[in-house]
Amino acid sequence: MNRIANILGMIGLAVLGVALVLFLQNFMAGQVQVPAQFFTFTTIFLGIFIEAAPFLLLGTLASGLVEVFFKKESLQRLMPRNRFLGALAGGLLGFVFPVCECGVVPLTRRLFHKGMVPAMGVAFLLASPVLNPIVLVSTYAAYGWGPVLWLRMGLSFAVAVATGLVFALEEQPARLLRPMQLEPIRGGSVDLSVPMLQPSFAARLRSALKIAGDEFFEMGRYLIIGSMMAALLQTVVPQNALLALGSGPLLSVLVLMVLAVLLSICSTVDAFVSLAFVGTFTTGSILSFLVFGPMVDIKSVMLYLQVFRRRTVSYMVLLPMLMIILASVFINLNLGI
Amino acid sequence: MNELNYKRTQSLILLALGAYLLYKIASGTLYFYINERFTWLVLLGGLSLLALGIVAWPRGVHAEGHHDHAHARGVWPLAILSLPLVLGFLVPARPLDSSALDTRGLTTNALVGVGGQVAVQLDQPSDQRNVLDWVRAFNYATDPVIYEGEQADVIGFVYQDARLPEGQFLVGRFAVSCCVADAFAVGMIVQSDEAGRWAANQWVHVTGEVQVGTLDGVAVPMILAGSIKEVSIPPQPYLFP
Repeated sequence: MNRIANILGMIGLAVLGVALVLFLQNFMAGQVQVPAQFFTFTTIFLGIFIEAAPFLLLGTLASGLVEVFFKKESLQRLMPRNRFLGALAGGLLGFVFPVCECGVVPLTRRLFHKGMVPAMGVAFLLASPVLNPIVLVSTYAAYGWGPVLWLRMGLSFAVAVATGLVFALEEQPARLLRPMQLEPIRGGSVDLSVPMLQPSFAARLRSALKIAGDEFFEMGRYLIIGSMMAALLQTVVPQNALLALGSGPLLSVLVLMVLAVLLSICSTVDAFVSLAFVGTFTTGSILSFLVFGPMVDIKSVMLYLQVFRRRTVSYMVLLPMLMIILASVFINLNLGI
Repeated sequence: MNELNYKRTQSLILLALGAYLLYKIASGTLYFYINERFTWLVLLGGLSLLALGIVAWPRGVHAEGHHDHAHARGVWPLAILSLPLVLGFLVPARPLDSSALDTRGLTTNALVGVGGQVAVQLDQPSDQRNVLDWVRAFNYATDPVIYEGEQADVIGFVYQDARLPEGQFLVGRFAVSCCVADAFAVGMIVQSDEAGRWAANQWVHVTGEVQVGTLDGVAVPMILAGSIKEVSIPPQPYLFP
């Protein structure tokens, strides 16, 4: 494991250590006061983990199945080699693989190893948490057939494709990905896709599940660290102060974007959550919450860091951020909605 | 840790995580963490984790084949993946309470909802409305005075809000759309001579007549308490908007 992960792991364990000591004290002395915030923290952390774990599992299962049941050559034939088309296709691939932001990371990595061009992969990664049937339905349920729905879909698509095209100059996905992670996966894919004798269906399913289990382990630790950080911030940072901050065309956008990162909620339900801001916040800011949140939040950035080089991740965070701020402020100032 | 023991521990942790999710469902405390409509998803997740755990168990040394170059594996991944287990099994399950309210604040302009949904909810007889329904009704009404005199019958936890005068406290509930990370609090003012006697976080059943109260200049529903009774935490502590 690399150094950052080690440091984060240690921080996590330190937090846990302190928590355990507090807890044991409480236990021994009967009713010594544990700060109530500790219970709040634990409840929020477990809440995010319990909610996100099935989605991450879904992603790793999809990844395992793609690895075992799709040959590299046949997938390459299906995927566009043209970068521009690739980015466009990547933006819409979520309708084929409906995975949300936790599941999309392992699946994207797998597709890279099956020969997907970088522009397409990045567009897929950023777009699919919003551009998929489930989120379409949940956003419709919350906002009906109106500007919020189609602006959310359109803006997510545009931002994801544009960011994907920035990576179009790069031919080799390996240069975006973290090098260490390439080895074991390649090794794994060689002995499965070039079988000496055709393995039985059950054997293939077994290896798909094995890959999914390994991947859940690998990604899970980032999900856990991300959930802990989100829970800690939620326990410490006063949200009501943040929400009192603003209704200005720019400030409201910045506030809701920070909140989206802080809350780290799944894209399948964030539309319902954002209803709470309707009326007090500008439409542009609500859009920024709905478009930026699924692309960038604490736990998804943690997962990105596990797969991509740090510089790639910073582009994947900063470019969408700037584009979304610009678009949302433009909407606030120019469209009377 | 050598490869074989690492793989075994990994398999055990996957099994334990699966067991944890299923245990949460069985014990009913799952609802302390997420909205009830995601129960099937957690069930599916628990079962898949069990399956992954079973498959991940290493079958003898030979099964590992080319992996048997004896390099040691760090224990950090194992430690981190055990965190939800440690916190989940050792720390007693508790729903969010008024201490979470300190950073979240009370939502007085609670989501009004969309389209027809709200109208249906406002059709309920007044004594069947919960705290969220009342707050919504007040938000939705052009003048909430129309609700004065109706009978309220709600449960919630006690929140002693510093902004309230003596003789009043809030009866609050958290509303959860997905998981507790998105919880927001709603509350009604309770007016009672014995308001000061209720400890924060105590769950209470309040009945009485509804009046229009104010909190920071915003109209919020207020109950002139006819009776306040202590109750235990309901199996479903949150409201689902």
